[in-house]
Amino acid sequence: MLNRQVAPPLTPIKSIDFSVPQHLTIGANVPLYWKNNIANETSKIELHFDAGTTVDQALVASLTAGLLISGTAKKSAVQIQHALDALGAYYDVSVSQEQSIVTIYALNSYLSAAFSIFHEAMSNAIFPEKELQEICNERQEKLKVQLKKVNVLAQRKVQQSLFEGTPYANVIQFSDYETIKRSDIQAFHAAHYLKGLAKVFLVGDISMEEMHVIQDKCADFVGMKRTVPKSTFAHKPNVIHEEKSDALQSAVRIGKLLFNKTHPDFISFSVLNTILGDYFGSRLMSNIREDKGYTYGIGSYIIENVQFGYFIIATEVAKEVREATIQEVKNELLRLQEELVPEEELELVRSYLLGQLLKAADGPYAMLDLFAGVELHDMDISFYNAYIQKVQEISAEEIREMARKHLDWESFSIISVG
Amino acid sequence: MIHFERFKLDNGLTVIFHKEPSTPMAVVNLLYDVGARDESEDKTGFAHLFEHLMFGGSVNIPDFDGPLQAAGGESNAFTSNDITNYYDVLPAHNLDTALWLESDRMLSLAFTDKSLEVQRNVVIEEFKQRYLNQPYGDVWLELRPLAYTKHPYKWATIGKEISHIEQAKMSDVKAFFKKHYHPSNCILCIIGNFELDFVKEKVTHYFGSIPKAKKSARILPLEPAQDRFKSKTIVRDVPADAFYYAFKMPERKNPGYYFADLLSDIMGREKVSKMYIELIKKQKLVSEINAYITGSMDEGLFIITGKLNEGKSFAQLDKEIWRIVDYYKNTLISKKELEQIKIKLRTARAFQDQGLLNRAMNLSFFELLGDANGINQEQEIYQAIQAEDLRTFAKHLFAKKNAVLLKVKMKKNA
Repeated sequence: MLNRQVAPPLTPIKSIDFSVPQHLTIGANVPLYWKNNIANETSKIELHFDAGTTVDQALVASLTAGLLISGTAKKSAVQIQHALDALGAYYDVSVSQEQSIVTIYALNSYLSAAFSIFHEAMSNAIFPEKELQEICNERQEKLKVQLKKVNVLAQRKVQQSLFEGTPYANVIQFSDYETIKRSDIQAFHAAHYLKGLAKVFLVGDISMEEMHVIQDKCADFVGMKRTVPKSTFAHKPNVIHEEKSDALQSAVRIGKLLFNKTHPDFISFSVLNTILGDYFGSRLMSNIREDKGYTYGIGSYIIENVQFGYFIIATEVAKEVREATIQEVKNELLRLQEELVPEEELELVRSYLLGQLLKAADGPYAMLDLFAGVELHDMDISFYNAYIQKVQEISAEEIREMARKHLDWESFSIISVG
Repeated sequence: MIHFERFKLDNGLTVIFHKEPSTPMAVVNLLYDVGARDESEDKTGFAHLFEHLMFGGSVNIPDFDGPLQAAGGESNAFTSNDITNYYDVLPAHNLDTALWLESDRMLSLAFTDKSLEVQRNVVIEEFKQRYLNQPYGDVWLELRPLAYTKHPYKWATIGKEISHIEQAKMSDVKAFFKKHYHPSNCILCIIGNFELDFVKEKVTHYFGSIPKAKKSARILPLEPAQDRFKSKTIVRDVPADAFYYAFKMPERKNPGYYFADLLSDIMGREKVSKMYIELIKKQKLVSEINAYITGSMDEGLFIITGKLNEGKSFAQLDKEIWRIVDYYKNTLISKKELEQIKIKLRTARAFQDQGLLNRAMNLSFFELLGDANGINQEQEIYQAIQAEDLRTFAKHLFAKKNAVLLKVKMKKNA
């Protein structure tokens, strides 16, 4: 007879199989990581270029990425897009602070052909003035919409506060569009794309011949290995509120500089972060959403770059409870510094984190992303075994120690808009 | 090809099982056949508010998420105008936990006043965050009642207005549960590296004792055939004038649905569609343009939407939109273009099927449509579509009396 009040017994996760992709090379020093033996006919190639927004002016980096297949002397943007479409391929570019990633998705039988189209288009891009004007118009219109959103405004302000005085603080402004020149784009393309390939990730079953073609073509984009210029950060915590009389909610961002995976405290802090605000049952969600009903959602996040990391608590709340919310966040940070996390809660978070890691390693696409997460920091897959071990062993005392060390309220910038 | 097994419990619960040997995870997906279209007009937003309450504890288990997280899993849900879909993803060896939790909340909820009070507030904040405090956020609150006069699609899943959520009472919640949350109104789909007998035994163990209830007939107000073009202009604090043309299109089970879907893909293609080239590249009339369908069970909407460039008028645009839809009414799409769209569809589908959760949701949805095997037949339907089908279809779809237009005009700052 089923007793519904008793939970079924649980089996803990002891270990997870992490599979490392094949490591091939392009030219002398650019790695190509390949995951094959895929159970279906999907495939993708990801090209990582040293072409992020901190490399030069943010707008130049952003527009160059948007114009990579905008036309050559022989083919128009429309013709190139048609050629990709004829293969059923999807093309995407995303630019972050430190890199630009071009991704092509296709059925495996078309991947190398789709890549060749991209290769030819990107190698010979001439950046027609008309295409530049079109993208500028489109992006400015989008920026106008973005700047009406309180969450975007708050995010821009917190970025400026944390990274003041470094290229990481740069956000695109309308005035940047007034001075943009086609020659800036061409120069950026020549330096950071034509000679800026940093690494390649490929998932899919393609033949060795196709792989060799891809390797050869990628070799055209290899240049001197760029060393990321070290930025010196001097975050001065500040408190800013920008009033918007017509807003119904305030966006709140509470942030500080932190570290990435390379730091010895990273794993322990990750556990603390989860308890605080990184899952549905977190302290912040339980208190501010599920107890008080102030918000649709609140969370805390560790964001990693090559050079460093940062930590953000983010939410949108009813305007009249903005101050109360900030006070509750402060209370939760203090509570973690003063009280030990109960064993039951810690055990739940341990199981939750390991379950999420099992999921993050499930399937070739997920596994390659997981691998990319350590490769970015020149670390290897053993990081995740260390992670499992640390998550299993960590004590409530260590969590409190982490909170005392890294969650001092005075070290945070507190930004609100709305 | 996605292989699956189907069985039914005595209490009416339909179960779809798809074995996936390569994964250490399990997906448990429950599709309840209830959406915002099943609400009464004076109590809108209820199906969605109810979805929130489903996480507020059940009759024997005070907290839904805690035990699932302790099992290494996570859960979420969404509500549409047609359905409410809940899912749990967890390590396969803890499958029992998900079945235990889901079966208890199908049996009965805890119905605490605190949960209702808090989730009312949470949903009101969601209403503000997603619909009111965003530029263009309230467009669907305006477009739906313009397009539908009688059918419950005239309100959005979040509800017509905040007051309906504020006024939700416990008695309403209980009645809603009784009517819609029982085995015969649910499709349960399980994916993982299991054997069929094992799944049957587990599902029967947890769900078998839930009492059977009669699936209530769905009798919705019929939307009268639209007989004239309608338009409405709203003035908002937005950075650009925006337009939403909505054409009535066939319901989900009608073959015309597939024509509409493919046609919207063709017309909405980025960078190369006729609309993109004419309106963005040549005439510089708009800064963005798109076409898509709402994909609803009952009569849906085919949307053409975009934003005007500064200094351009709605009148100029209107002329061009009708000129372009006339083109599709009168011209056969080239074989080349049709092939491009079909291979893109095939690629997109292969990537979708890659994800376990997607597979579970799609199997459940096709089962609701009548047969989970539809998931394996859909591509054939798309691949068989000919240019002539699309032209014939466009002639019906793009009749002016079949359309409504919502214009969002920039508020001029004094």
